[in-house]
Amino acid sequence: MASIELINLTKKFGDLTAVNDLNLVIPDKEFVALLGPSGCGKTTTMNMIAGIEMPSEGSILFGGEDMRTIPANKRDVGFVFQNYAIFTHMTVRKNLEFGLKVRGVEKSEIKRRVQNMADLMRLNDRLDWRTSKLSVNELQKVAIGRSAVTEPEIFLLDEPLSNLDAAFRAFMRTELKHLQHEFQQTMVYVTHDQIEAMSLADRIAVLDMGLLQQYGTPNEVYNKPHNTFVANFMGSPSMNLLPCRLTNGGGDHALDFGDAGTSMIEDGELMRRCKLARNADVVFGMRPEDIDIQPREVGRPGIDMEVSFVEPIGPRTVVHLSAGSHSIKVAKDKQYPIELGAKVKAEFPKGRCHIFDAESGNAIGLE
Amino acid sequence: MTKKKKPVLTTLEREGKTLGLYMTLPAQLLLLFIVAFPLCMQLYVSLSWWGPLDGVKWYYAYESLNWFGNYGEIFSDAKFWGSLGRTFLIVAVVVPVEFLLGLGLAMLFADKFPGKRVFYSIMLMPMMIVPAVAGYMFFMLFQSSGPINDILSAISGTKVDTVWLADPDLAMISVMIADIWQWTPLMFLILLAGMVGVPEDQIKAATLLGANAWHRFWRIVLPRMKTVMIIALVIRSVECFKIFDILYVMTGGGPGVATKSISVYILDLTFKDLEWSYVAAIGLFILVALSLIAVVGIYYMQAAQKKAEA
Repeated sequence: MASIELINLTKKFGDLTAVNDLNLVIPDKEFVALLGPSGCGKTTTMNMIAGIEMPSEGSILFGGEDMRTIPANKRDVGFVFQNYAIFTHMTVRKNLEFGLKVRGVEKSEIKRRVQNMADLMRLNDRLDWRTSKLSVNELQKVAIGRSAVTEPEIFLLDEPLSNLDAAFRAFMRTELKHLQHEFQQTMVYVTHDQIEAMSLADRIAVLDMGLLQQYGTPNEVYNKPHNTFVANFMGSPSMNLLPCRLTNGGGDHALDFGDAGTSMIEDGELMRRCKLARNADVVFGMRPEDIDIQPREVGRPGIDMEVSFVEPIGPRTVVHLSAGSHSIKVAKDKQYPIELGAKVKAEFPKGRCHIFDAESGNAIGLE
Repeated sequence: MTKKKKPVLTTLEREGKTLGLYMTLPAQLLLLFIVAFPLCMQLYVSLSWWGPLDGVKWYYAYESLNWFGNYGEIFSDAKFWGSLGRTFLIVAVVVPVEFLLGLGLAMLFADKFPGKRVFYSIMLMPMMIVPAVAGYMFFMLFQSSGPINDILSAISGTKVDTVWLADPDLAMISVMIADIWQWTPLMFLILLAGMVGVPEDQIKAATLLGANAWHRFWRIVLPRMKTVMIIALVIRSVECFKIFDILYVMTGGGPGVATKSISVYILDLTFKDLEWSYVAAIGLFILVALSLIAVVGIYYMQAAQKKAEA
């Protein structure tokens, strides 16, 4: 059993609070991604789990056992560094053997396990190479293999794919999934790439400024963001966030976008959430792929806008619309027929809208 | 080994090479005079019986040419072999002790601890002291009424009045202690530089793979320090072989010949016996011997480096 529990975990470096009162339960055999921008405390969290850094406050439990007094070399975690930290004075084989040798594993067993790992990682013809001759992609495989060969129950990966070229990154993503499937480890994966997090993880913990913003499945984090930070961070292009005011237009709520006009609310769910708002100042959110572009005559909720820019980015077309001081992005199919300067209506279909409190940034009335 | 192909130079490169030659010419000429000329002169004189009291200029040394007579004499010179043996003994004891002490200190200083900067400065101080002054210091310390005997008396509770520098064995030990005191810092400094050069993330990685402090030292730090270690050992061995100031001030090579090193022996030959051509021969003999030691050391160093790079 190797679940990881972080309880009130805090790490301070002088005046800087890198991790602030973090509570997280990572169930056994799950793949969890710590996602956030640079400096959000994700690597510090990882280092504390591994035992390279000691928490200022709070505790870490592995399978219910407190790790405070267990030094890093006794925690039995696999750790892959962002820069791999390969032992450059050794051959690939020696690198793979290292963890087993220092554990005093029997020679024949070491040989067998290293061979298996080399097969798995496709490093067979590189085993007796000096690591200085390897490509970045191969170094990456050695780094993962070196940690995986000791068969740790907990596997920590610190942005392992960020230095790789795009094609190999995609390949490694699937390899990692395979690896986890094979060894059934609890995996914690640090990344700033939301696509990586979404495609790999069972759960995503979104961090910002040392604080946990949201913890949930990729689906939850994407479709039910708890606040504007998560809404903005997940997805590319990111969610359109439009500040607006709630008005009582003839008994019913409407969204007043100022110089961009006003939109009615016909969506029952959105209406319910708007009624829970404490302040009239809110932020209206909508994913680029959820917005419809229609001729202006159609009378459904939305705002009249003008096409200001069209980006054809291969698989789809990103249409930039603007009205007054507001501008939004809409993601459409490739070769979407639209002209620059066209006067259209941006329509907000039912059930796809998000509404946040303008002051706190928190989602209003989320179920 | 295959012969290297001569690279084809561009005009710019050729011009650069010519300019480089002109720029370094003064330095090369200077080197010629301060290295090559004395060396040739020494070789020339060493092939004769010439001495300063002969009333003949040195360049007329060919008048008393004896070819390898001086070199032959070296092999039957018991005093020479005695001095050489004592010098090797000093090197064999002092260098390993300095190395181990330096390594231990370097390991200590590779980690953080309060007051590190202050200790660091203090650690390096012995190296900065003029060896003759250090010799005088230890001469005073080891007097029979000196502080060392006082401290030993205080510890043992009985009056200790060992005559350190008058006893053949103790005099040797005293000289060794003084040299170790003065030159351990150099060893420490070189080894620390090597130790700090070991990438920290590799040590972290080793720790997370389950390595304890001993494993980390043996398998990560040590292999990466091999080159630096050989440099430190070669430098100190060659330097220590020439031990003079500290020893001469403390014992003058005595009592008797108990601490007479090769340098002291050469000094005696030069200024007491005025055997200049013989001294020239000994000088060349030692030069060749030391060069051999250095070459072997450098060979191993390069082999280690090649292995690390390959």
